[in-house]
Amino acid sequence: MKVLAHSYVCPKGVKLNGEPVFDTQAEENPLKSAYQQLGVEYPKFYKMDVLSKMAFIGTELLLPFFPAGTDLENDLSLIFANTSSSQHTDNLFVDSYEKLNNPSPSLFVYTLPNIVTGELCIRHKWYGENCFFIEEQFNPKNYAAWAQSGFSKGNALCLCGWVEAKTNGEQECFLFLLSPSDKTEHTIEIELSTLIKQYRNE
Amino acid sequence: MRIYVTGYGVISSIGENVEETLISLRSEKTGIRQGQKTYTERFKVGEIRWSNDELVERFSLTQHASRTALLGMIAAKEAFKGHELLADVKTGLISGTSVGGMDVSEIAYKDFLNGETDDLNVYRNHPSGTTSEQIAKELGIDGYVNTISTACSSAANSMMLGARMLLNGQLDRAVVGGTDGLSQFTISGFRSLMIFDDEWCRPFDETRKGLNLGEGAGFLVLETEETIQKTGKKPLAVLSGWSNASDAYHQTASSPEGLGATLSMKGALSIAGLKPEDIDYINAHGTATPNNDLSESHGIKNVFGNTVPPFSSTKAYTGHTLAASGGIEAVFGILALNNGSLLPNLNFSQAIEETGLTPVKNYSEGNDVKHILSNSFGFGGNNSTIILSKV
Amino acid sequence: MSDLKENLKAQIIEQLNLEDLTPADIQDDAPLFGDQGLGLDSIDALEFIVLLDSNYGIKITDPSQGKEIFQSVNTLADFISKNQ
Repeated sequence: MKVLAHSYVCPKGVKLNGEPVFDTQAEENPLKSAYQQLGVEYPKFYKMDVLSKMAFIGTELLLPFFPAGTDLENDLSLIFANTSSSQHTDNLFVDSYEKLNNPSPSLFVYTLPNIVTGELCIRHKWYGENCFFIEEQFNPKNYAAWAQSGFSKGNALCLCGWVEAKTNGEQECFLFLLSPSDKTEHTIEIELSTLIKQYRNE
Repeated sequence: MRIYVTGYGVISSIGENVEETLISLRSEKTGIRQGQKTYTERFKVGEIRWSNDELVERFSLTQHASRTALLGMIAAKEAFKGHELLADVKTGLISGTSVGGMDVSEIAYKDFLNGETDDLNVYRNHPSGTTSEQIAKELGIDGYVNTISTACSSAANSMMLGARMLLNGQLDRAVVGGTDGLSQFTISGFRSLMIFDDEWCRPFDETRKGLNLGEGAGFLVLETEETIQKTGKKPLAVLSGWSNASDAYHQTASSPEGLGATLSMKGALSIAGLKPEDIDYINAHGTATPNNDLSESHGIKNVFGNTVPPFSSTKAYTGHTLAASGGIEAVFGILALNNGSLLPNLNFSQAIEETGLTPVKNYSEGNDVKHILSNSFGFGGNNSTIILSKV
Repeated sequence: MSDLKENLKAQIIEQLNLEDLTPADIQDDAPLFGDQGLGLDSIDALEFIVLLDSNYGIKITDPSQGKEIFQSVNTLADFISKNQ
């Protein structure tokens, strides 16, 4: 297993393979600014929740690193996880019926974390398997294990994501692309732990 | 290598354990009725009659927790009954949930808004992950514990992950399933999508209008052949196939042609090494929304052609129990295998015009049921299928 | 009536998060749904129902009614002025 590429999206800015791509620190709406700088035409972006928006941007940046010749439609699997599930949107949705007395359908849609992977599949027409886990913290061991079990089933590529929006305002989305190789799971785990630490500290 | 099911447990509005559930299935008795809580009273729901405190007492639980966690503990405890924790049997728990501790958090939040309390301690029950930790604790499992949140396919996905972890040697035994308690949050959400039926839901019927919600939990214990030699457990069934596919169509709606459904059913057949004609009964997802049932009917026809095996949705018994549905329906599937039952699709009268499929209308036993296929489709286009086979 | 239409356009943009549009981009008679129009979908239709209730006090209980009412800003304004 090896890491082909990785991206990191947070309010401060967007990075690809460790290098800054967009600086959004001074922006009032960092994600909107990053989307506009991407230069992609996908108006549905504006309707997404914060988790889907971050994952959308991070994924667009990784696309050039998807190996040519992979049957992305069928052989790509998506493994995403976070701690707070869809808590950020859950709160907004509760307010829509508790305070405004009119539950909002477009908020309710995003009160499930796996809508993130659903959005990516819709955008890119990916029909492979996808799963969303709830974990106490970023856990490289599990990604490596899940990706491995997918590879042994015949998946060629695995897009992994840690996408988190806490109620205290902290937000981050760390995406990485895994493909089978002779590197051990343990090596990958160490590499992933190092990468996310670097991104968080920068 | 085969994956055996060596334990099962269930709670829903049609029964508090496997035995009661079978009695209700046999007598074609629905658990859906007018809601009894302030937020359910306007709806027909598959509600479990006991309050959270009553559940703790009635089932001798050791922890006070959210409804989702309590229901999960009850079903998982039944599944794990008679199983022992052994030093050389690596045991894990994988649980699916969509709302976690919502039912207790929302009461606390309301009190907070009204200025009645500022005690935020109750929110420690809120995270979906906590729900699984609490269930594991109730069983004494302290190894691998994980939570899947893929909406209504969560339980099916936890079975798939459990099976794979056993095959890869990451676990020797896995308690897998799903749980969801009803909450104001869920009711408000489905109300906003306008997909409730005010009457009893009618899956696969031309006149279907929408779903009734329900609550509950369903869990299985999975073991490998090697583990069974250590535990000496008698297998109830074989988990022979599983698959997950993306529908890649819409956040909540299923594709008109049932593409994701088709892919997940085909994938599970392929893992099981079975042909469509080997399937003796399909427990459909069948939520009774106009969209799901039409899409799933197309999916079933895509896979089975003109020889669709007996099929039904049991959602008219239990209501749609969301993340728990795949677990509850897996228990129904094992009951069907071991009693040769075909389970009825209650409230059906008229086939969907476009697809013309007629589900099983009455309960029967003594049929030759060797392999059953069970569908669970979640929002986000997350479609899963499992196949259970006779030992 | 034209005030109502202008208000509606602003409300649609706000409620449906159409951040890349301004009221001037929405023609009175242009289809709102489908690929020809603004590309709105079934969830947006449900959001319209919420909008009518919260902003105009009009309740729609059967979502299939929406199909005709939500065709364009014109049909929407018509419906509101008749039912308010």
